[in-house]
Amino acid sequence: MDTKELWQNCLTEIETGVSKANFSTWFRNTSILREETGIIYIAVPNEFVRDWLKNKYHKLITKTIADAYENMRAVEYVITKIESEKQEISAAGAVYGSNKELPLRDLYINPEDNLNSRYRFDSFIVGGFNELAYAASQAIIESPGTKYNPFFVYGGTGLGKTHLIQAIGNSIKDKFPEKKVHYMTLEKFATDFINSLQGNKANSFKEKYRKYDLLIIDDIQFIGKMEKIQEELFHTFNTFHESNKQIIFSSDKHPNHIPELADRLKSRFAAGMIVDIIEPEYESRLAILKVKAEELGLKLPPEIMEYVATAIFGNIRELEGSLNTILCQYRLKNKPLTAVEVKNLLKNNIKPKKTVAIKDVVKVVSEHYNLDENSIYEKTRRKEIVRARQVVMYLLREDFNVSYPLIGQKLGGKDHTTVIHSYLKIKEEIKTDPQLSQELDQIRIMFR
Amino acid sequence: MKAQCEVEKIKDAIWKTERITGKNLTLPVLNSLLLIASGKSIKLRATNLSLGIEAEIPAKVEKEGIVAVAGSVLAGVFSNIFQNENAELESLDGNLSIKTQKSRIRLKGQSHDDFPTIPAVVGTSFEIEAKKLVEGIKSVSYSSSPSDIKPEISSVFLYAEDGQLRFVATDSFRLAEKKIKVKGLPDIPGILIPFRNIPDILRVLGELNEEVKVCFNKNQISFTAHNVYLTSRVLDGIFPDYRQIIPKNRETKAIVLKQDLLNALKLSNVFSDKWNQLNLSVRPKEKIFELSSANNDVGENKTYLDGALEGENLELSFNYKYFLDCFQSLGADSISISLNHSGKPMVIEGVGDSSFLYLIMPMNPA
Repeated sequence: MDTKELWQNCLTEIETGVSKANFSTWFRNTSILREETGIIYIAVPNEFVRDWLKNKYHKLITKTIADAYENMRAVEYVITKIESEKQEISAAGAVYGSNKELPLRDLYINPEDNLNSRYRFDSFIVGGFNELAYAASQAIIESPGTKYNPFFVYGGTGLGKTHLIQAIGNSIKDKFPEKKVHYMTLEKFATDFINSLQGNKANSFKEKYRKYDLLIIDDIQFIGKMEKIQEELFHTFNTFHESNKQIIFSSDKHPNHIPELADRLKSRFAAGMIVDIIEPEYESRLAILKVKAEELGLKLPPEIMEYVATAIFGNIRELEGSLNTILCQYRLKNKPLTAVEVKNLLKNNIKPKKTVAIKDVVKVVSEHYNLDENSIYEKTRRKEIVRARQVVMYLLREDFNVSYPLIGQKLGGKDHTTVIHSYLKIKEEIKTDPQLSQELDQIRIMFR
Repeated sequence: MKAQCEVEKIKDAIWKTERITGKNLTLPVLNSLLLIASGKSIKLRATNLSLGIEAEIPAKVEKEGIVAVAGSVLAGVFSNIFQNENAELESLDGNLSIKTQKSRIRLKGQSHDDFPTIPAVVGTSFEIEAKKLVEGIKSVSYSSSPSDIKPEISSVFLYAEDGQLRFVATDSFRLAEKKIKVKGLPDIPGILIPFRNIPDILRVLGELNEEVKVCFNKNQISFTAHNVYLTSRVLDGIFPDYRQIIPKNRETKAIVLKQDLLNALKLSNVFSDKWNQLNLSVRPKEKIFELSSANNDVGENKTYLDGALEGENLELSFNYKYFLDCFQSLGADSISISLNHSGKPMVIEGVGDSSFLYLIMPMNPA
């Protein structure tokens, strides 16, 4: 017997027999809890309702149910919590269950140093894409402040920069408990500075930061337009550097590409160690997936893992997200997913293979070199245009796999050998000219 | 129905019950008071389906009966009858007529068929002086969270331990705990009285000067005195295990006079910023207990208090409003303040009075 349907039918019946006000006051939030040997247990939200149903509507309810369900012998009322309310409370309760302190601050974040204790090297996966950054960070943990100071990590979003720098902070904290570590985002630094200006407490601001032994500033790329903050950071930086205290930055761009960054800061960033984290290659993605799946308690057959690792590229955060989607679906269905199901599930997460209109590449490149878009197509041998045109050709070939003849045809009817020449020329030059390779990196960011 | 009663008595009963009538509910009859004349009394009943109240007044009943009239109207009528005399209440065709020596009033009644009963609570019970109960609830209730987001802390939590009835409330930024000795306490695992019902419960119980019988089960709690019965829904939820957050060690301790501190806090009020930030600096080695607050638009102030200090030097910031709140619950002349480093709460107690404990979380040092 479907109790839900039975009750629904009864309610429709009852609704006609009582006034609307009464119905919505007393019968809303009721349901049939269960049926046992002919006794129907009706769930009610509180004692007021129970007493009233019992005293006033008992006959009506009994009769209605009896009409619809002949095996009924009696009706009992049980106070139960309503489903929606229950969920809300258990959700709130769960927060409490794992939280020993009052929830004034975020659960994982240590108020002293702002570090999230989840970010550790145990859970940090090292692969070709972040080897260098990892090695450098280990050297820093070995002897903070002496080896690579400042340590500047840059790379695209979701590649583990924050994880890396927080893990450095946590490791240093473990190794040298007496050292004062502080992690913050540039935004926090900026708001603090502004607040201190408003409160005429610029000195205490300086004091505050200078008492730390290790300062980690995340997302420094936003510093571009903040002149005053740059100045303040410069002074803070100098104090740190002079007293051999480690300072760590992260950014999504190379310092040279942060717009409007003062030269004195640029050169200071460059004085230490600048490493980049690139996108993980297939093997690393697979390794990351395995570790994350284990963390989530999700067992996936190897072929599905491999599929996910091939399909989702680029960003570790997206890898995690797709795992979560799979996990969620898995719990819902309560049985292992097939490869086809996973494929369908991830359809939306998968970025289409990079295809870019040639026009767009031309546009981005010409913008980068500050040229008129049309000049690329023109038959001209002006030096700066030739260079830009070669870059376009190189990018089209290298990144987007466009055929040589097509490139030539689209860029003003050039012969395919011209294109090959340009491609090889740039390819060779990258090896010797770091400036060029940086330019290319920056242009590539625009395509993401 | 037809009955006679004293104006003063019914006034009092209306005052007690009228506030509990339901407003904005789907069932319009809930905004009325139900008058039941039977035996030798009139009972006034009101409920909003979260709280229910029944007050009884002695009356000369000539004809038993029931009538429902809008609570606010009835209250309006009786608050303006000043003669200290008898009133005669009579129901006529569902309407209520009130006769006193100098007035004749007819009130439109409502159909009383739909007026709900008030649950009679069956469960564990104990007796306690109404005064003590009110004191216990009052000492902590201001710390409850007024928001419904976490229903379990939008409440006053009651439980029994070591022969004491403990009252606890928190809004997750501060916490108050009051212990009151009560004889013959049963085992009380924990009752969550909804914060929204607290003012009404205090109002009704605050008037009483006798023992009340408290009866509770997992859905409902009731308070019975000789002429009033009050029942409230209780929340189903788990109150956070607050004892874990009471700091065990105390790095810095200060004992100061309550009045001094109160004056200093009131002064800080003038200079408080929009976050109500109050900076506390305790430096036992220099014998300095300093309260300071600053507001860019007003200025700043520093107040030094005399006191017995011990432990480490410490500087922390608090919301002075939270600080000020607990003074109503502190009976002693001197109060003891214990502080800890690293985001642990400040502990406030009365000196020589272990019945009340108050915690305040420090503010984020921004």
